[in-house]
Amino acid sequence: MSPNGKPDRGSVVMNAEECKGCGLCVEACPLKVLSLSKSLNRYGYHPAVYLGHGCSGCGICFFACPEPGGIRVQKRLA
Amino acid sequence: MKPELTKGNEAIVKAAVLAGCRAYYGYPITPASEIAEAAALYLPRVGGVFIQAESETASVNMLYGAASAGVRCMSGSSGPGISLMQEGLSYLASAELPCVIADIMRGGPGLGNIAPEQGDYNQIVKGGGHGNYRTLVVAPASAQEMADFTTLAFDLADRYRNPAVVLTDGNIGQMMEPVRFADPIEVPAPPSWAVLGTAATRKNLIASIYLEPEKMERHVRKLEAKYRQAEVEAVRSESYRTEDAEFVLIGYGIMGRILKAVVDQGRERGHKLGLLRPITLFPFPTARIRQLAPEVKAFLVAELSVGQLLDDVRLALEGRRPVEFFSRVGGSVPTAEEVLEAVEQKFQFREVLIHG
Repeated sequence: MSPNGKPDRGSVVMNAEECKGCGLCVEACPLKVLSLSKSLNRYGYHPAVYLGHGCSGCGICFFACPEPGGIRVQKRLA
Repeated sequence: MKPELTKGNEAIVKAAVLAGCRAYYGYPITPASEIAEAAALYLPRVGGVFIQAESETASVNMLYGAASAGVRCMSGSSGPGISLMQEGLSYLASAELPCVIADIMRGGPGLGNIAPEQGDYNQIVKGGGHGNYRTLVVAPASAQEMADFTTLAFDLADRYRNPAVVLTDGNIGQMMEPVRFADPIEVPAPPSWAVLGTAATRKNLIASIYLEPEKMERHVRKLEAKYRQAEVEAVRSESYRTEDAEFVLIGYGIMGRILKAVVDQGRERGHKLGLLRPITLFPFPTARIRQLAPEVKAFLVAELSVGQLLDDVRLALEGRRPVEFFSRVGGSVPTAEEVLEAVEQKFQFREVLIHG
């Protein structure tokens, strides 16, 4: 269930090892279901992580992300 | 009564005899032969009549005679035999004669094969004979329902003075299950319109000819009004886990049974599935489908034919919700897993990668 009360219509898979913690996706996400992790990846960045629920599958984070292969968006069409 | 291990086809005959049926006319055909076999065994025992006619055409016209005499009577057949009976069914409906016919569907068209299919839906539910008539159709999904719905079919036939059909597939006909039979009823007395070969009933001419167009129209309108009334009073369906369902599967006969397993397995995987199983195919549970439509996202029709039940569901929905379709034909019956996979794919429960 997303913050606006609608059921999840998709999900995002973040590639922590490609992320440099710029936070663009966190800002871009309309549903605010992304955040920067407290832990570090192997380059020493705080990578973006998905809250685990609430994604609408809109794909805006994918277009905001500067890293190729950083974010994968899956959508449930039903 | 104690439950008895009974074959679906045999259950039809036992229930018919218990419901006061005293005449059977038929011609054997796989997978419906056990109906004739059981009728030959049980009807003479209760003082009834069993005749193996020379053809299905003959048997349906023998039904016309027995029904005219006010006897509860029945016949049974499968696809090709039912096709031969269609002319007689039209005559029976027009003459307003109650009788019951069991159609245990097999593979088709043509000679087809003897494996289960549901391809007779249109010829039975839409009325395969000529003219403006319908048959009342019940669709059992277990040996127990073969018994219960045969009793129901006799009651419907009498109530609406119209032929009623027990429509199911070879699977249900051949399946052996415990069946609890109803208590026998007394053989009903012949109704006032019956022709009994007496002076008093001489005026009861039973015919389906109306040479004057006005009289013909009045007659057709009368039949039509009867069918509209049946649509309100006699329609029945089973809803399974539809209370919170987002997707509703629709199927009858053996498919209805498989879909029940699909609903349970799908629910275990987190899909909110429900099942609507029509019990009467005419009258069709249109109102129930329309009632479900606003509560669900989409429907899926599953049948062992190429979209015959699907047409009626689409007509009922009038585009209110999307309808997906799953079908197997030729005698292959899908497993629940196979249907569930199709359901997941059609409704796209699995998330698909759209970016990345």
